[in-house]
Amino acid sequence: MAQLDTGSAEKGKRGQKKQSIHVDFTAMVDMNMLLLTFFMLCTTMIKSQTLQISLPSNEKVDKTEQNKVKQSEAITIILDSEREPNTEDGQRGKVIGEFVYYYEGQPVIDDADKDGILDANNMNEIAFEASKGGEAQGIRAVLHDRNKQVIEKINLLKAEWREKKINDDEYQDRAKEIRNDSNLTRPIVIIKATPNASYETLITALDEMQINSISRYQIDRINGTDSLLMMDIKAKTQK
Amino acid sequence: MGKVKIKKKSTLIDMTAMSDVTVLLLTFFMLTSTFLQEEPVKVVTPSSVSEIKVPEMNLVTILVNPEGKVFLSFANDADSTYSNEKMRAELLKNVVAEYNDKRNANIQLTQKQINEFAGEYMFGQPIASLPGFLDIEVMDRKELRDPASNPNAGIPISINTDLTKPNEFQMWMSAAYKTSNQNLLAAIKDGSGIAIKADKDTPYDVIHVVMDNLQTMKMNRFSLMTALKSGGE
Repeated sequence: MAQLDTGSAEKGKRGQKKQSIHVDFTAMVDMNMLLLTFFMLCTTMIKSQTLQISLPSNEKVDKTEQNKVKQSEAITIILDSEREPNTEDGQRGKVIGEFVYYYEGQPVIDDADKDGILDANNMNEIAFEASKGGEAQGIRAVLHDRNKQVIEKINLLKAEWREKKINDDEYQDRAKEIRNDSNLTRPIVIIKATPNASYETLITALDEMQINSISRYQIDRINGTDSLLMMDIKAKTQK
Repeated sequence: MGKVKIKKKSTLIDMTAMSDVTVLLLTFFMLTSTFLQEEPVKVVTPSSVSEIKVPEMNLVTILVNPEGKVFLSFANDADSTYSNEKMRAELLKNVVAEYNDKRNANIQLTQKQINEFAGEYMFGQPIASLPGFLDIEVMDRKELRDPASNPNAGIPISINTDLTKPNEFQMWMSAAYKTSNQNLLAAIKDGSGIAIKADKDTPYDVIHVVMDNLQTMKMNRFSLMTALKSGGE
């Protein structure tokens, strides 16, 4: 459809013909727009991120060789999700709510009067919350508090890095060193998820590890004691 | 009354600038984006603050849908001597050989079926039903891939720590060990080469089965696929 208009052929002073050339770009634009729409619909610009984790292998480890977690350093986070009842074809219901519980050190179970209600329960209910005005909230505050020494050092390092005193690689190396510095008090976090807990809560929990620069954490299976404590909390909060 | 003269205006609009803009936009989109690969199930990955990008090459993706159906895709680096198609063909031969050996089965694949499999980007079918699946025309396979319309879709997986009797998922992964090239192998070993992609609502017990299988296979370093959280820290 491209036309070459040779309009207004006026006679110039010196007898030269002045030609104006108009190329009609409408068709070109049409085609470009089509291609553009195609590319916008069929491609993606979002690149997924990844979170790297390493778990112990399933080989049987001699119990005596296993590093026992120091009680004072251990903090256990338990993740749970509330779901709608299962659908008729047996699929899990949608996630309605998410719960986070934690306890420090060993779980405490004490039911002296044997009435089925625990007298002492060191498990606390808490939530994932974003920081407000620079102040950590929820579980983040707990972890932040436990990992204070490391975070302080990392923050100093970050300031240096922002002022361009050190480059990226150096920053990464030194941050790693600080995270693994055994002279500092660092917590060991044990993440446990109930079968119903959603994958999202697990990722959020792993995220918190990263936000709080915690280098030692593990994902473990939930045991009877944990579920007992959890049920106790649920029963108490319902009253 | 004098006649009002209506000036005849030309309706031609100069489209040159417009064309320039669209070409620019087109170039931008072509350069920055990647094509969507069709996956058997749609999942919404959870968001995280992690900023490590998913590698485009040398990656084994384990797609898990909320019901625990598992799909696999393999991508090595675009090496002309050992392309993804070649790798998938090798992979299939290996898996079928192991399956026949361990399960006393007798599955024979024709060269045509192997070629068909090489063209599958992401797959998840029980090995026993593979020949039937590959005989169907490419266009008609969509329904069979989707677990919503075909309850048999997905690679069978269960908790199993005995590697002398591997489940099908473990067979695929050990075949991946055998058939991948150096770079993919290195990526699998250092943990960046295996990514679990699961929906954010997936229950933990489903994820746990996959993780436990990987742990048994001694692939205990792997990554979880997430989307970037907006806002963040």
